[in-house]
Amino acid sequence: MKTAQVIMDTGARAAALAVKSARVDVVPGYPITPQTSIMEAMAAMVENGEMHARFIPVEGEHSAMAAAVAASAAGARVFTATSANGLLYMHEVLHMASGGRLPVVMCNVNRGIFAPWTLWADHQDSFAQRDTGWIQYHCSSNQEVYNTILQAFRVAEQINIPVMVNFDGFAISHCLMPLTLPPQEDIDRFLPPHEPEWRLDPAQPSSFSNVTNASEYAPFRQMLSDDIMASIPLVKQAAQEYKDITGMWDGDTIDTYRLEDAEVVALAVNSMAAELRLSIDILRQQGIKAGLLRPRLVLPFPAEDIINALPQNAQVMVLDRNYNFGHPGGILASELKSVLFGRRNDITVKNRVMGIGGIDLTRTYMATEIRAMLDD
Amino acid sequence: MNNMLELRINGFGGQGSVTLAHLLAQAALENGNQGQALPFFGVERRGAPVRAAVRMSPTAIHAHSQCERPDYVVVMSEKLTEAAISEGITDIGTVIINAPHAVAVKSHATWQVDADTIAREAGLISADGPFINIPLFGAVCRVLDIPQNIMEQTILNKWPGNNGERNLGAAGKAYNTVTRINK
Repeated sequence: MKTAQVIMDTGARAAALAVKSARVDVVPGYPITPQTSIMEAMAAMVENGEMHARFIPVEGEHSAMAAAVAASAAGARVFTATSANGLLYMHEVLHMASGGRLPVVMCNVNRGIFAPWTLWADHQDSFAQRDTGWIQYHCSSNQEVYNTILQAFRVAEQINIPVMVNFDGFAISHCLMPLTLPPQEDIDRFLPPHEPEWRLDPAQPSSFSNVTNASEYAPFRQMLSDDIMASIPLVKQAAQEYKDITGMWDGDTIDTYRLEDAEVVALAVNSMAAELRLSIDILRQQGIKAGLLRPRLVLPFPAEDIINALPQNAQVMVLDRNYNFGHPGGILASELKSVLFGRRNDITVKNRVMGIGGIDLTRTYMATEIRAMLDD
Repeated sequence: MNNMLELRINGFGGQGSVTLAHLLAQAALENGNQGQALPFFGVERRGAPVRAAVRMSPTAIHAHSQCERPDYVVVMSEKLTEAAISEGITDIGTVIINAPHAVAVKSHATWQVDADTIAREAGLISADGPFINIPLFGAVCRVLDIPQNIMEQTILNKWPGNNGERNLGAAGKAYNTVTRINK
Protein backbone atom coordinates (compact mmCIF):
# COMPACT_ATOMS: atom_id res chain seq x y z
CA MET A 1 0.00 0.00 0.00
CA LYS A 2 1.31 3.45 -0.92
CA THR A 3 1.82 6.00 1.84
CA ALA A 4 1.21 9.74 1.88
CA GLN A 5 3.95 12.03 0.61
CA VAL A 6 4.99 15.26 2.39
CA ILE A 7 6.22 18.11 0.21
CA MET A 8 6.83 21.84 0.73
CA ASP A 9 4.59 23.99 -1.42
CA THR A 10 2.46 27.13 -1.51
CA GLY A 11 -1.29 27.36 -0.92
CA ALA A 12 -1.88 28.17 -4.58
CA ARG A 13 0.09 25.10 -5.65
CA ALA A 14 -1.79 23.04 -3.03
CA ALA A 15 -5.02 24.04 -4.79
CA ALA A 16 -3.65 23.04 -8.20
CA LEU A 17 -2.42 19.69 -6.86
CA ALA A 18 -5.87 18.99 -5.37
CA VAL A 19 -7.52 19.76 -8.72
CA LYS A 20 -5.10 17.39 -10.42
CA SER A 21 -5.80 14.62 -7.91
CA ALA A 22 -9.57 15.21 -8.37
CA ARG A 23 -9.07 14.22 -12.05
CA VAL A 24 -10.83 17.36 -13.29
CA ASP A 25 -11.82 17.33 -16.99
CA VAL A 26 -12.02 21.04 -17.85
CA VAL A 27 -10.28 24.15 -16.45
CA PRO A 28 -11.29 27.52 -17.94
CA GLY A 29 -8.94 30.17 -16.61
CA TYR A 30 -8.13 33.84 -16.54
CA PRO A 31 -5.30 35.28 -14.42
CA ILE A 32 -5.73 37.77 -11.57
CA THR A 33 -3.44 38.46 -8.62
CA PRO A 34 -3.11 36.61 -6.24
CA GLN A 35 -4.90 33.68 -7.88
CA THR A 36 -2.66 33.63 -10.97
CA SER A 37 -0.28 31.04 -9.47
CA ILE A 38 -3.12 28.48 -9.51
CA MET A 39 -3.88 29.00 -13.20
CA GLU A 40 -0.16 28.99 -14.07
CA ALA A 41 0.22 25.64 -12.33
CA MET A 42 -2.92 24.21 -13.98
CA ALA A 43 -1.82 25.35 -17.46
CA ALA A 44 1.63 23.80 -16.93
CA MET A 45 0.20 20.49 -15.66
CA VAL A 46 -2.08 20.19 -18.71
CA GLU A 47 0.71 21.27 -21.09
CA ASN A 48 3.26 18.75 -19.80
CA GLY A 49 0.74 15.90 -19.69
CA GLU A 50 0.71 15.50 -15.88
CA MET A 51 -3.02 16.14 -16.00
CA HIS A 52 -5.44 14.93 -18.66
CA ALA A 53 -7.75 17.93 -18.87
CA ARG A 54 -8.77 20.64 -21.29
CA PHE A 55 -7.37 24.05 -20.29
CA ILE A 56 -9.42 26.88 -21.84
CA PRO A 57 -7.74 30.30 -21.73
CA VAL A 58 -10.46 32.97 -21.93
CA GLU A 59 -10.55 36.76 -22.20
CA GLY A 60 -12.10 37.51 -18.81
CA GLU A 61 -13.77 36.06 -15.73
CA HIS A 62 -17.32 36.39 -17.07
CA SER A 63 -16.26 34.06 -19.89
CA ALA A 64 -14.33 31.79 -17.51
CA MET A 65 -17.52 31.09 -15.56
CA ALA A 66 -19.59 30.83 -18.77
CA ALA A 67 -17.16 28.17 -20.06
CA ALA A 68 -17.31 26.42 -16.69
CA VAL A 69 -21.13 26.40 -16.82
CA ALA A 70 -21.17 25.01 -20.36
CA ALA A 71 -18.59 22.29 -19.65
CA SER A 72 -20.39 21.29 -16.46
CA ALA A 73 -23.72 21.10 -18.31
CA ALA A 74 -22.01 18.76 -20.77
CA GLY A 75 -21.18 16.48 -17.83
CA ALA A 76 -17.53 17.41 -17.21
CA ARG A 77 -15.90 17.84 -13.80
CA VAL A 78 -14.94 21.53 -13.89
CA PHE A 79 -12.66 23.82 -11.88
CA THR A 80 -11.73 27.48 -12.14
CA ALA A 81 -10.22 30.09 -9.83
CA THR A 82 -10.41 33.84 -9.34
CA SER A 83 -9.95 36.72 -6.89
CA ALA A 84 -11.59 40.03 -5.95
CA ASN A 85 -12.81 41.97 -9.00
CA GLY A 86 -12.55 38.84 -11.12
CA LEU A 87 -15.14 37.24 -8.84
CA LEU A 88 -17.32 40.35 -9.05
CA TYR A 89 -17.12 40.27 -12.86
CA MET A 90 -18.46 36.66 -12.71
CA HIS A 91 -21.40 37.62 -10.52
CA GLU A 92 -24.13 37.17 -13.16
CA VAL A 93 -22.83 33.79 -14.30
CA LEU A 94 -22.44 32.55 -10.71
CA HIS A 95 -26.25 32.59 -10.59
CA MET A 96 -26.39 30.59 -13.81
CA ALA A 97 -24.20 27.88 -12.25
CA SER A 98 -26.31 27.61 -9.08
CA GLY A 99 -29.71 28.06 -10.74
CA GLY A 100 -28.65 25.57 -13.43
CA ARG A 101 -27.68 23.17 -10.60
CA LEU A 102 -24.18 22.67 -12.00
CA PRO A 103 -21.54 21.25 -9.61
CA VAL A 104 -18.66 23.58 -10.57
CA VAL A 105 -15.92 23.99 -7.94
CA MET A 106 -14.05 27.29 -7.83
CA CYS A 107 -11.29 28.70 -5.66
CA ASN A 108 -11.58 32.34 -4.74
CA VAL A 109 -8.28 33.63 -3.40
CA ASN A 110 -9.54 36.40 -1.15
CA ARG A 111 -8.40 39.94 -1.98
CA GLY A 112 -9.86 43.35 -1.17
CA ILE A 113 -12.06 45.03 -3.77
CA PHE A 114 -11.37 48.02 -6.04
CA ALA A 115 -11.66 51.08 -5.49
CA PRO A 116 -9.00 52.01 -4.50
CA TRP A 117 -6.88 49.13 -5.77
CA THR A 118 -5.38 46.74 -3.28
CA LEU A 119 -3.61 43.41 -3.87
CA TRP A 120 -3.94 41.96 -0.37
CA ALA A 121 -6.47 39.93 1.54
CA ASP A 122 -9.80 40.81 3.01
CA HIS A 123 -13.10 38.98 2.65
CA GLN A 124 -15.32 41.52 0.93
CA ASP A 125 -15.07 39.64 -2.38
CA SER A 126 -16.46 36.27 -1.27
CA PHE A 127 -18.97 37.75 1.20
CA ALA A 128 -20.33 39.99 -1.58
CA GLN A 129 -21.35 36.75 -3.39
CA ARG A 130 -23.38 35.51 -0.41
CA ASP A 131 -26.70 35.56 -2.27
CA THR A 132 -25.63 33.79 -5.48
CA GLY A 133 -26.71 30.31 -4.33
CA TRP A 134 -23.19 28.90 -4.02
CA ILE A 135 -21.99 26.85 -1.08
CA GLN A 136 -18.92 28.56 0.47
CA TYR A 137 -16.05 27.09 2.46
CA HIS A 138 -13.37 29.35 4.01
CA CYS A 139 -9.99 27.69 4.69
CA SER A 140 -7.27 28.55 7.20
CA SER A 141 -4.25 26.51 6.02
CA ASN A 142 -2.54 25.20 2.88
CA GLN A 143 -3.46 21.64 3.81
CA GLU A 144 -7.06 22.61 4.37
CA VAL A 145 -7.19 24.14 0.89
CA TYR A 146 -6.05 20.84 -0.59
CA ASN A 147 -8.43 18.76 1.54
CA THR A 148 -11.41 21.06 1.02
CA ILE A 149 -11.24 21.12 -2.78
CA LEU A 150 -11.64 17.31 -2.79
CA GLN A 151 -14.51 17.50 -0.29
CA ALA A 152 -16.08 20.31 -2.32
CA PHE A 153 -16.30 18.18 -5.47
CA ARG A 154 -17.96 15.40 -3.46
CA VAL A 155 -20.58 17.69 -1.99
CA ALA A 156 -21.19 19.65 -5.22
CA GLU A 157 -21.79 16.51 -7.26
CA GLN A 158 -24.00 14.90 -4.59
CA ILE A 159 -26.43 17.81 -4.47
CA ASN A 160 -25.81 19.62 -7.79
CA ILE A 161 -24.82 22.94 -6.30
CA PRO A 162 -21.58 24.80 -7.13
CA VAL A 163 -19.03 25.25 -4.33
CA MET A 164 -16.62 28.12 -3.72
CA VAL A 165 -13.44 27.32 -1.75
CA ASN A 166 -12.03 30.56 -0.31
CA PHE A 167 -8.61 31.25 1.18
CA ASP A 168 -6.48 34.35 1.76
CA GLY A 169 -4.29 35.84 -0.91
CA PHE A 170 -0.55 35.81 -0.06
CA ALA A 171 -0.96 34.73 3.60
CA ILE A 172 -1.98 31.29 2.27
CA SER A 173 -1.63 31.45 -1.53
CA HIS A 174 2.06 32.45 -1.47
CA CYS A 175 2.99 30.83 1.85
CA LEU A 176 5.30 27.80 1.57
CA MET A 177 4.38 25.10 4.12
CA PRO A 178 4.53 21.31 4.45
CA LEU A 179 1.74 19.64 2.47
CA THR A 180 0.66 16.02 2.82
CA LEU A 181 -0.47 14.39 -0.42
CA PRO A 182 -2.49 11.20 0.15
CA PRO A 183 -1.91 8.35 -2.33
CA GLN A 184 -3.95 8.82 -5.53
CA GLU A 185 -5.76 5.52 -4.92
CA ASP A 186 -7.13 6.95 -1.65
CA ILE A 187 -8.31 10.11 -3.41
CA ASP A 188 -9.98 8.00 -6.10
CA ARG A 189 -11.75 5.99 -3.41
CA PHE A 190 -12.99 9.20 -1.75
CA LEU A 191 -13.97 10.93 -4.99
CA PRO A 192 -15.27 8.54 -7.65
CA PRO A 193 -15.72 9.74 -11.27
CA HIS A 194 -18.48 12.31 -11.84
CA GLU A 195 -21.64 10.61 -13.13
CA PRO A 196 -24.23 13.37 -13.69
CA GLU A 197 -27.91 12.38 -13.74
CA TRP A 198 -28.34 14.57 -16.80
CA ARG A 199 -26.07 16.21 -19.36
CA LEU A 200 -26.26 18.16 -22.61
CA ASP A 201 -25.66 15.61 -25.34
CA PRO A 202 -25.67 16.44 -29.09
CA ALA A 203 -26.88 12.87 -29.78
CA GLN A 204 -30.01 13.53 -27.72
CA PRO A 205 -30.72 17.24 -28.21
CA SER A 206 -32.32 19.10 -25.30
CA SER A 207 -32.10 22.54 -23.76
CA PHE A 208 -32.01 23.81 -20.20
CA SER A 209 -32.57 26.98 -18.21
CA ASN A 210 -35.38 28.16 -20.50
CA VAL A 211 -37.91 30.91 -19.81
CA THR A 212 -40.32 29.74 -17.11
CA ASN A 213 -43.68 30.92 -15.83
CA ALA A 214 -43.83 32.05 -12.23
CA SER A 215 -45.51 28.79 -11.25
CA GLU A 216 -42.49 26.92 -12.64
CA TYR A 217 -39.79 29.41 -11.62
CA ALA A 218 -40.79 29.63 -7.95
CA PRO A 219 -40.45 25.89 -7.22
CA PHE A 220 -36.95 25.88 -8.80
CA ARG A 221 -35.86 28.67 -6.47
CA GLN A 222 -37.47 27.00 -3.45
CA MET A 223 -35.68 23.75 -4.30
CA LEU A 224 -32.32 25.57 -4.52
CA SER A 225 -32.89 27.21 -1.15
CA ASP A 226 -33.93 23.91 0.45
CA ASP A 227 -31.01 21.99 -1.06
CA ILE A 228 -28.43 24.54 0.09
CA MET A 229 -29.68 23.90 3.65
CA ALA A 230 -29.67 20.16 2.98
CA SER A 231 -25.96 20.29 2.08
CA ILE A 232 -24.92 20.57 5.75
CA PRO A 233 -25.09 16.82 6.48
CA LEU A 234 -23.25 16.16 3.20
CA VAL A 235 -20.47 18.56 4.23
CA LYS A 236 -20.13 16.68 7.54
CA GLN A 237 -20.19 13.31 5.83
CA ALA A 238 -17.52 14.38 3.34
CA ALA A 239 -15.24 15.64 6.13
CA GLN A 240 -15.71 12.44 8.14
CA GLU A 241 -15.12 10.07 5.23
CA TYR A 242 -12.09 12.10 4.09
CA LYS A 243 -10.74 11.68 7.62
CA ASP A 244 -11.47 7.95 7.62
CA ILE A 245 -9.50 7.54 4.39
CA THR A 246 -6.65 10.06 4.80
CA GLY A 247 -6.49 10.64 8.56
CA MET A 248 -6.70 14.43 8.02
CA TRP A 249 -9.27 16.66 9.71
CA ASP A 250 -9.87 20.43 9.48
CA GLY A 251 -13.25 20.43 11.23
CA ASP A 252 -16.51 19.90 9.35
CA THR A 253 -18.90 22.85 9.34
CA ILE A 254 -16.93 24.46 12.19
CA ASP A 255 -13.49 24.11 13.75
CA THR A 256 -12.87 24.92 17.42
CA TYR A 257 -9.89 25.48 19.74
CA ARG A 258 -10.02 25.51 23.57
CA LEU A 259 -13.75 26.25 23.30
CA GLU A 260 -15.27 23.86 25.89
CA ASP A 261 -14.74 26.03 28.99
CA ALA A 262 -14.35 29.39 27.20
CA GLU A 263 -15.99 32.53 28.56
CA VAL A 264 -14.66 34.68 25.70
CA VAL A 265 -15.01 33.22 22.20
CA ALA A 266 -13.25 34.64 19.14
CA LEU A 267 -15.11 33.99 15.89
CA ALA A 268 -13.36 34.53 12.54
CA VAL A 269 -12.60 32.82 9.23
CA ASN A 270 -9.58 32.10 6.99
CA SER A 271 -5.90 32.54 7.87
CA MET A 272 -6.57 35.04 10.68
CA ALA A 273 -8.43 32.23 12.46
CA ALA A 274 -5.26 30.10 12.35
CA GLU A 275 -3.20 32.93 13.85
CA LEU A 276 -6.00 33.40 16.43
CA ARG A 277 -5.07 30.07 18.04
CA LEU A 278 -1.88 31.80 19.19
CA SER A 279 -3.90 34.81 20.41
CA ILE A 280 -6.10 32.43 22.42
CA ASP A 281 -2.98 30.97 24.07
CA ILE A 282 -1.77 34.50 24.93
CA LEU A 283 -5.16 35.39 26.47
CA ARG A 284 -5.23 32.12 28.46
CA GLN A 285 -1.77 32.97 29.85
CA GLN A 286 -3.21 36.32 30.91
CA GLY A 287 -5.98 34.53 32.81
CA ILE A 288 -8.79 35.06 30.30
CA LYS A 289 -10.70 31.88 29.48
CA ALA A 290 -10.61 32.35 25.72
CA GLY A 291 -11.54 29.95 22.92
CA LEU A 292 -11.95 29.94 19.15
CA LEU A 293 -14.91 29.10 16.92
CA ARG A 294 -14.05 29.13 13.22
CA PRO A 295 -16.89 28.62 10.75
CA ARG A 296 -15.29 26.52 7.99
CA LEU A 297 -18.60 26.43 6.14
CA VAL A 298 -19.87 29.99 5.80
CA LEU A 299 -22.73 29.31 3.40
CA PRO A 300 -24.98 27.67 4.44
CA PHE A 301 -24.20 29.24 7.81
CA PRO A 302 -23.89 26.31 10.26
CA ALA A 303 -26.49 27.57 12.72
CA GLU A 304 -27.16 24.41 14.72
CA ASP A 305 -23.47 23.54 15.16
CA ILE A 306 -22.68 27.07 16.35
CA ILE A 307 -25.65 27.12 18.73
CA ASN A 308 -24.59 23.76 20.18
CA ALA A 309 -20.88 24.63 20.43
CA LEU A 310 -21.06 27.98 22.25
CA PRO A 311 -20.54 27.65 26.02
CA GLN A 312 -23.20 29.08 28.36
CA ASN A 313 -23.10 32.88 28.82
CA ALA A 314 -20.13 33.31 26.48
CA GLN A 315 -19.12 36.68 25.05
CA VAL A 316 -18.49 36.17 21.33
CA MET A 317 -15.94 38.54 19.79
CA VAL A 318 -16.60 38.47 16.03
CA LEU A 319 -13.54 39.64 14.08
CA ASP A 320 -14.77 40.56 10.61
CA ARG A 321 -12.36 41.14 7.70
CA ASN A 322 -15.15 42.78 5.68
CA TYR A 323 -17.74 45.52 5.98
CA ASN A 324 -21.48 45.06 6.23
CA PHE A 325 -22.27 48.42 4.61
CA GLY A 326 -25.37 49.97 6.11
CA HIS A 327 -24.60 48.40 9.48
CA PRO A 328 -21.87 49.41 11.93
CA GLY A 329 -19.76 46.22 11.74
CA GLY A 330 -19.10 43.19 9.56
CA ILE A 331 -21.14 40.48 7.87
CA LEU A 332 -20.16 37.52 10.09
CA ALA A 333 -21.48 39.34 13.16
CA SER A 334 -24.77 39.96 11.40
CA GLU A 335 -25.04 36.29 10.37
CA LEU A 336 -24.25 35.15 13.90
CA LYS A 337 -26.82 37.46 15.51
CA SER A 338 -29.57 36.24 13.18
CA VAL A 339 -28.80 32.67 14.21
CA LEU A 340 -28.69 33.35 17.96
CA PHE A 341 -31.80 35.54 18.17
CA GLY A 342 -34.44 33.78 20.23
CA ARG A 343 -32.31 30.63 20.55
CA ARG A 344 -29.36 31.65 22.75
CA ASN A 345 -30.30 34.77 24.69
CA ASP A 346 -27.42 34.04 27.13
CA ILE A 347 -24.81 34.97 24.46
CA THR A 348 -23.36 38.49 24.03
CA VAL A 349 -22.07 39.38 20.56
CA LYS A 350 -19.38 42.04 20.06
CA ASN A 351 -17.83 42.93 16.74
CA ARG A 352 -14.82 44.69 15.20
CA VAL A 353 -13.70 45.04 11.61
CA MET A 354 -9.95 44.54 11.06
CA GLY A 355 -7.31 43.44 8.58
CA ILE A 356 -8.88 45.30 5.65
CA GLY A 357 -6.76 45.31 2.49
CA GLY A 358 -4.21 42.95 4.02
CA ILE A 359 -3.33 44.83 7.21
CA ASP A 360 -1.22 42.27 9.03
CA LEU A 361 -3.17 40.47 11.78
CA THR A 362 -0.62 39.30 14.32
CA ARG A 363 -1.33 37.17 17.37
CA THR A 364 -0.49 40.04 19.74
CA TYR A 365 -2.63 42.56 17.85
CA MET A 366 -5.69 40.31 17.88
CA ALA A 367 -5.20 39.35 21.54
CA THR A 368 -5.02 43.06 22.41
CA GLU A 369 -8.16 43.79 20.36
CA ILE A 370 -10.09 40.99 22.07
CA ARG A 371 -9.04 42.30 25.50
CA ALA A 372 -10.19 45.78 24.52
CA MET A 373 -13.53 44.37 23.30
CA LEU A 374 -14.27 43.16 26.84
CA ASP A 375 -14.97 46.84 27.61
CA ASP A 376 -17.02 47.52 24.42
CA MET B 1 14.25 23.05 18.99
CA ASN B 2 11.65 23.48 21.75
CA ASN B 3 9.59 26.42 20.55
CA MET B 4 8.67 28.15 17.33
CA LEU B 5 11.55 30.20 15.98
CA GLU B 6 10.86 33.29 13.86
CA LEU B 7 13.17 34.95 11.39
CA ARG B 8 12.82 37.96 9.09
CA ILE B 9 14.82 38.57 5.96
CA ASN B 10 15.35 42.21 4.97
CA GLY B 11 16.80 42.78 1.52
CA PHE B 12 16.46 44.62 -1.77
CA GLY B 13 14.25 43.37 -4.62
CA GLY B 14 16.34 41.13 -6.89
CA GLN B 15 18.66 39.80 -4.15
CA GLY B 16 16.80 36.49 -3.95
CA SER B 17 15.08 36.85 -0.59
CA VAL B 18 12.13 34.65 -1.65
CA THR B 19 14.42 31.75 -2.59
CA LEU B 20 16.39 32.23 0.64
CA ALA B 21 13.13 32.05 2.63
CA HIS B 22 12.06 28.91 0.74
CA LEU B 23 15.44 27.23 1.32
CA LEU B 24 15.33 27.93 5.06
CA ALA B 25 11.78 26.54 5.39
CA GLN B 26 12.80 23.47 3.40
CA ALA B 27 15.88 22.99 5.60
CA ALA B 28 13.61 23.04 8.66
CA LEU B 29 11.55 20.18 7.20
CA GLU B 30 14.73 18.32 6.18
CA ASN B 31 15.90 18.74 9.80
CA GLY B 32 12.75 17.08 11.18
CA ASN B 33 10.82 20.24 12.03
CA GLN B 34 7.94 22.15 10.47
CA GLY B 35 8.89 25.08 8.24
CA GLN B 36 7.12 28.09 6.78
CA ALA B 37 8.26 30.73 4.27
CA LEU B 38 5.98 33.75 3.97
CA PRO B 39 7.51 36.41 1.71
CA PHE B 40 5.77 39.76 1.68
CA PHE B 41 4.74 40.49 -1.90
CA GLY B 42 4.06 44.12 -2.58
CA VAL B 43 4.24 46.28 -5.65
CA GLU B 44 8.02 46.53 -5.20
CA ARG B 45 10.51 46.63 -8.03
CA ARG B 46 14.10 45.59 -8.32
CA GLY B 47 16.14 47.58 -5.80
CA ALA B 48 13.25 48.45 -3.47
CA PRO B 49 13.37 47.16 0.13
CA VAL B 50 11.66 43.74 0.54
CA ARG B 51 11.11 41.36 3.41
CA ALA B 52 10.15 37.75 4.08
CA ALA B 53 9.10 35.81 7.18
CA VAL B 54 10.44 32.34 7.99
CA ARG B 55 9.25 30.11 10.82
CA MET B 56 10.57 26.81 12.15
CA SER B 57 8.85 24.76 14.82
CA PRO B 58 8.79 21.25 16.26
CA THR B 59 4.97 21.39 16.11
CA ALA B 60 2.40 22.60 13.54
CA ILE B 61 2.75 26.27 12.59
CA HIS B 62 -0.51 28.25 12.78
CA ALA B 63 0.93 31.77 12.41
CA HIS B 64 0.22 33.47 9.07
CA SER B 65 1.34 37.03 9.79
CA GLN B 66 4.66 38.65 8.97
CA CYS B 67 7.23 38.37 11.79
CA GLU B 68 6.93 41.62 13.77
CA ARG B 69 9.35 40.66 16.58
CA PRO B 70 11.48 37.81 15.20
CA ASP B 71 14.25 35.95 17.03
CA TYR B 72 16.59 36.44 14.05
CA VAL B 73 16.94 39.18 11.45
CA VAL B 74 18.89 38.49 8.24
CA VAL B 75 20.16 41.69 6.64
CA MET B 76 21.01 41.01 2.99
CA SER B 77 22.73 44.36 2.53
CA GLU B 78 24.66 46.27 5.19
CA LYS B 79 22.91 49.47 4.10
CA LEU B 80 19.62 48.09 5.43
CA THR B 81 20.86 47.27 8.94
CA GLU B 82 19.32 50.19 10.80
CA ALA B 83 16.01 49.99 8.93
CA ALA B 84 15.82 46.22 9.49
CA ILE B 85 16.35 46.49 13.24
CA SER B 86 13.80 49.29 13.52
CA GLU B 87 11.14 47.02 11.95
CA GLY B 88 11.33 44.89 15.10
CA ILE B 89 13.34 42.13 16.76
CA THR B 90 13.14 40.49 20.19
CA ASP B 91 15.34 42.04 22.89
CA ILE B 92 17.52 38.92 22.91
CA GLY B 93 17.40 38.53 19.12
CA THR B 94 20.32 37.86 16.80
CA VAL B 95 21.26 39.75 13.62
CA ILE B 96 23.05 38.20 10.64
CA ILE B 97 24.53 40.79 8.27
CA ASN B 98 25.98 40.43 4.78
CA ALA B 99 28.97 42.81 4.78
CA PRO B 100 32.55 42.74 3.45
CA HIS B 101 33.98 43.59 6.88
CA ALA B 102 33.13 43.06 10.53
CA VAL B 103 30.04 45.05 11.56
CA ALA B 104 28.08 44.86 14.78
CA VAL B 105 24.72 46.06 16.04
CA LYS B 106 25.40 47.34 19.56
CA SER B 107 22.06 46.25 20.98
CA HIS B 108 22.05 42.68 19.62
CA ALA B 109 24.26 39.68 19.06
CA THR B 110 25.62 40.01 15.52
CA TRP B 111 27.08 37.59 12.97
CA GLN B 112 28.74 38.75 9.75
CA VAL B 113 29.39 36.98 6.47
CA ASP B 114 30.86 38.30 3.20
CA ALA B 115 28.23 36.75 0.92
CA ASP B 116 29.08 38.99 -2.07
CA THR B 117 32.71 37.86 -2.26
CA ILE B 118 31.84 34.19 -1.64
CA ALA B 119 29.21 34.24 -4.41
CA ARG B 120 31.53 36.02 -6.87
CA GLU B 121 34.40 33.62 -6.17
CA ALA B 122 32.07 30.67 -6.78
CA GLY B 123 30.96 32.19 -10.10
CA LEU B 124 27.39 32.64 -8.85
CA ILE B 125 26.77 35.85 -10.77
CA SER B 126 23.87 37.10 -12.85
CA ALA B 127 23.54 40.29 -14.88
CA ASP B 128 22.19 41.97 -11.71
CA GLY B 129 25.02 40.88 -9.42
CA PRO B 130 26.06 37.93 -7.26
CA PHE B 131 23.58 35.32 -5.99
CA ILE B 132 24.13 36.22 -2.34
CA ASN B 133 21.13 34.18 -1.17
CA ILE B 134 23.12 30.93 -1.56
CA PRO B 135 26.00 31.87 0.82
CA LEU B 136 23.50 33.56 3.14
CA PHE B 137 21.57 30.28 3.33
CA GLY B 138 24.75 28.53 4.46
CA ALA B 139 25.52 31.25 6.99
CA VAL B 140 22.02 31.26 8.50
CA CYS B 141 22.03 27.46 8.79
CA ARG B 142 25.30 27.69 10.77
CA VAL B 143 23.91 30.38 13.10
CA LEU B 144 20.73 28.31 13.66
CA ASP B 145 22.81 25.16 14.35
CA ILE B 146 21.28 23.34 11.38
CA PRO B 147 23.82 20.57 10.54
CA GLN B 148 25.90 21.15 7.40
CA ASN B 149 24.71 17.89 5.81
CA ILE B 150 21.06 19.02 6.18
CA MET B 151 21.99 22.34 4.57
CA GLU B 152 23.68 20.50 1.70
CA GLN B 153 20.81 18.06 1.20
CA THR B 154 18.34 20.96 0.99
CA ILE B 155 20.39 22.53 -1.81
CA LEU B 156 20.73 19.25 -3.71
CA ASN B 157 16.98 18.62 -3.43
CA LYS B 158 16.29 22.03 -4.96
CA TRP B 159 19.02 21.95 -7.62
CA PRO B 160 20.01 18.41 -8.60
CA GLY B 161 23.13 18.33 -10.82
CA ASN B 162 25.88 20.88 -11.56
CA ASN B 163 24.08 23.97 -10.24
CA GLY B 164 23.58 22.20 -6.94
CA GLU B 165 27.29 21.34 -6.74
CA ARG B 166 28.33 24.96 -7.40
CA ASN B 167 25.84 26.21 -4.82
CA LEU B 168 27.15 23.69 -2.29
CA GLY B 169 30.65 25.18 -2.47
CA ALA B 170 29.46 28.73 -1.83
CA ALA B 171 27.01 27.76 0.90
CA GLY B 172 29.64 25.59 2.59
CA LYS B 173 32.22 28.38 2.55
CA ALA B 174 29.72 30.76 4.18
CA TYR B 175 28.73 28.05 6.69
CA ASN B 176 32.35 27.85 7.80
CA THR B 177 33.31 31.54 7.65
CA VAL B 178 30.30 33.33 9.14
CA THR B 179 31.71 35.03 12.23
CA ARG B 180 30.26 36.07 15.54
CA ILE B 181 31.20 39.71 16.05
CA ASN B 182 29.89 40.58 19.51
CA LYS B 183 28.19 39.17 22.65
